[in-house]
Amino acid sequence: MLFKKMLRDLKHNKSQFITIFLMVFLAVFAFSGIHAYMDGMKFGSEEYYKKQNLQDLWVTKENFSKEDLEKVKELDNVNNAERLLRIKANVVNPEDYTNKTTGKELKEFVIECNFIESNDINQLYVQKGEKFDVNKSGLWFDEYLAENLGIKIGDEIELSYEGLTLKEKVVAIVEAPDHVYFMKDETAIFPTHTDYGFAYLSINELPEMFHVFPYMIVDVDDLSQLKEVKASIKENIDNVITVTDREDDISYSGFLREAEEGESYSGIFSGLFVFIAILSVVTTMNRFVKRERTQIGTLKALGIKKRKITWMYVNYGFFISVVAGVLGLFIGRYTLGSFFLNMELVYYEIPYLHTYLIPLVYEVAIGIVIVITLVTYLSCRKILKEKAAEAIRVEIPKVKISKFDITTKGIFKRASLSTKWNLRDVLRNRARTFMALVGIMGCTMLVVVALGMFDSLNEYMRWEFEVINHFDYRLNLSENYTDSQYEAIIEKYGEKTSQSVGVEFKNDDEIELNALTINDAKGLLQTTDHNKKPFEMKNDGIYITEKMSKLKNLKVGDTVEWRIVATDKWYKSKIAGLAKDPQNQQFYCTKDYFETLEETTYRPDSIYTNKDLSKIKEINGVNTIQSIGNIRSEMDNMLQMMFMVIYLLIGISIALGFVIIYNLGILSFTEKEYQFATLKVLGYKNKQIKKIFIKQNIWITIVAILLSFPVAFWVTDYIFANAIGDIYDFNAYIRPITYAISGLGSFIVSYLINKFLARKINKIDMVSSLKGNE
Amino acid sequence: MEKIVELKNVSKVYKIGENEFKALDNIDLELNKGEMIVVLGPSGAGKSTLLNLIGGMDSPSSGEVIIDGENISSYNENKLSSYRAENVGFIFQFYNILPSLTVKENVDIVKDIVKNPIPTEEALKSVGLEEHKNKFPNQLSGGEQQRVSIARAVAKNPKLLLCDEPTGALDSHTGVDVLKLLRKQCDANHGANTVIIVTHNSLIADIADTVIHVKNGKIESVVKNPNPKKIDEVKW
Repeated sequence: MLFKKMLRDLKHNKSQFITIFLMVFLAVFAFSGIHAYMDGMKFGSEEYYKKQNLQDLWVTKENFSKEDLEKVKELDNVNNAERLLRIKANVVNPEDYTNKTTGKELKEFVIECNFIESNDINQLYVQKGEKFDVNKSGLWFDEYLAENLGIKIGDEIELSYEGLTLKEKVVAIVEAPDHVYFMKDETAIFPTHTDYGFAYLSINELPEMFHVFPYMIVDVDDLSQLKEVKASIKENIDNVITVTDREDDISYSGFLREAEEGESYSGIFSGLFVFIAILSVVTTMNRFVKRERTQIGTLKALGIKKRKITWMYVNYGFFISVVAGVLGLFIGRYTLGSFFLNMELVYYEIPYLHTYLIPLVYEVAIGIVIVITLVTYLSCRKILKEKAAEAIRVEIPKVKISKFDITTKGIFKRASLSTKWNLRDVLRNRARTFMALVGIMGCTMLVVVALGMFDSLNEYMRWEFEVINHFDYRLNLSENYTDSQYEAIIEKYGEKTSQSVGVEFKNDDEIELNALTINDAKGLLQTTDHNKKPFEMKNDGIYITEKMSKLKNLKVGDTVEWRIVATDKWYKSKIAGLAKDPQNQQFYCTKDYFETLEETTYRPDSIYTNKDLSKIKEINGVNTIQSIGNIRSEMDNMLQMMFMVIYLLIGISIALGFVIIYNLGILSFTEKEYQFATLKVLGYKNKQIKKIFIKQNIWITIVAILLSFPVAFWVTDYIFANAIGDIYDFNAYIRPITYAISGLGSFIVSYLINKFLARKINKIDMVSSLKGNE
Repeated sequence: MEKIVELKNVSKVYKIGENEFKALDNIDLELNKGEMIVVLGPSGAGKSTLLNLIGGMDSPSSGEVIIDGENISSYNENKLSSYRAENVGFIFQFYNILPSLTVKENVDIVKDIVKNPIPTEEALKSVGLEEHKNKFPNQLSGGEQQRVSIARAVAKNPKLLLCDEPTGALDSHTGVDVLKLLRKQCDANHGANTVIIVTHNSLIADIADTVIHVKNGKIESVVKNPNPKKIDEVKW
């Protein structure tokens, strides 16, 4: 019988229960989807790295001998080591290949060839074809590039490198754990997999004279001993240039950074979705049970056991939240999660990446069900604690006159009755008002944050591409350019130059790796201060970026000891000032200061110009010609992924906001229905009552919107200032128009929903409403 | 005497699922202006339905409800609201006053809908609540709350004062006070006000000018009482 009552109550209050369902569903859907994608990236890559045995250390030297290899293998905690030769070979006749996406023939086609002796570390993941065998000829070819260019097993590719030509057949289509995040060169911004890829070959494919191994990859068995292994490699192998771990590997750190960046902002969003939804649902369930007071009292008076009554009411919240939670978990994972993961997979080469739900996601879903069930249980128990005779009566609101003091004094004395009535209703129903405020505030805030992220990223783009990089073209000079080539270039394009060098610096007991840019490109490559304004560096020391200063605890006036990578000469430089850079945390200095240092020679690697180079394809001594416009559009492309996530977050925020406002409207209407019926009986017209109803909700909406603005700024700033990777340093920037659009949007949504709900006033049956209240 | 209420062939049928329930069955009734009328009958007889139709809270399924010469059964929602605002004062068993408004504000509320209301102070004085005007309903006793409801109804200066079990939730002493107020309202305004009381309590019939007995949706009798008793004379 009670089950029948439950079903009928569900039917009778279907709008309310549908909104409860939607709120739980949307919150869990977003939480699950975003986590499934983010954690899928993180754990999927970890699983991949483990299975394919990604290198733990990357060691460089001019040429590792066999003896070096054996020595390293013998070191404590070293499992294995392999030598590697990596060269960039040009494909002969690139025009024979067509990019399947654009339909255009390639003008240039470069393959990074990795010559190896064995493949126990960084094991290739063979999608099609044979397993790597050092005794076999052929190319173990990049899967993404093969896909983009339509290259298949059996195709022959002719490669040329410094006069050497190799004709190799594709024997397998593979992915490699050290080529997950893989770009053409340091000038590329994100992976395109169009005219550049990788291949693995046996070292035996090269003539003996080319058997040079500048790289060694090392597998360490105890990662806690990484530091010791690094030190012992440096100690035991002569002329080692660098020993770096996974964190310094572009592929590993690039992918990890992408996963962690997304995790930070979407974690904040999905957490807020859950918080707002729980608050709304819990309040709604509590009010629902309170409304059922007389029925609970009646059931108790009839002698039905408390346990049975409680069980029935607990089931309302329990079943709805369980169904919504389970659906949210799985639909979120397999739609939202898969969608984003597949988008990421366009850029990142990683096989068997799948959505992944960490226990936290299940715990949150279960937590939501428990909280809702518990609140329903406590609300019901509170009523059941009363005597049946009391519980069958409508609860008389316990109102303290002091609560309404504000409405009987000062300007409120002159306020209209509807204003007073609404104000007191707000004060009387503080929990409902609070929930409404938090719900609307939360959703508006989420929209402001999401749009604010657009603004902040656009501001970052302006700062990076209009202030710092104040040039049209950058010429990346070839490593081996001659003086005469250089003279010819600067004569034609001007002498605005820079050089970037890798440096090691001492920080406490650690030696850390970083970069130093020697800037002699005044006006074109600018250094900016805290307010993003360009300033001229002086010649009295080195400058560091603000974020690096914080992270490394280095202050202006401190002395830093540093050296250029692969050199022995250590310098002591005073930190002359701080610069602020949105995406590079490093050292800077002027050419003049650099040249005051002993044993240094300024040899530019980049030239900046504002001349039009759009029609120039090649310049002697120049490796690549980069247009700032192209870099910016590549950057825009890279941000598209983030923008997609933001669009979706905005969508969910709006949907959740919509449901919350609708739910509040129903709640507020149901609780005031008998009062509206009284007004109707007195002769108030529907229009007048609608005005009273809408007034309160509009007030709450306006206050919530205004409160949401500072919180939104704080959250956006937190995301950019603290939550994204250490290499970035930019703050929130939200345009006034963003606040205006978000606020107006929330207001319009709230107004329209309330207008829609106000139509219920037309349908109030005075007789039934007043009788119901009796 | 001048008629205030005329009901012609009025029926009210409620549909409950697939079943129909006839609350009023083809009734004819005429009520005079300035009288105190008591409607008696058992539960489910149709008393409240009758009151709701006269008060414009509900519309008949068939027939005509004519109030002061105007057929209100053809009124739309908006016109009915105006009719209730200008002509009818309601008093309910459970008072139906707005808990968030003070006593004075509960009476003031009619100012927004009535063209010529009686001043609030005067209405409150007439029910003896002027000292409690700044209190909220939950600070008052049941009788006092019912008096607020009467003051609110009276402030509209209505032609018809419709009372549905006005003493039902009160003790006998307080109930007598409330009935005295209703009588006072009926006698005021040179006999222009009509008070209709729906009740179970047959003792109230002694103070009425007209007593109507309702049973099974039909008017069983309309009895004129040429010498209604004074309220204090009735043994409760």
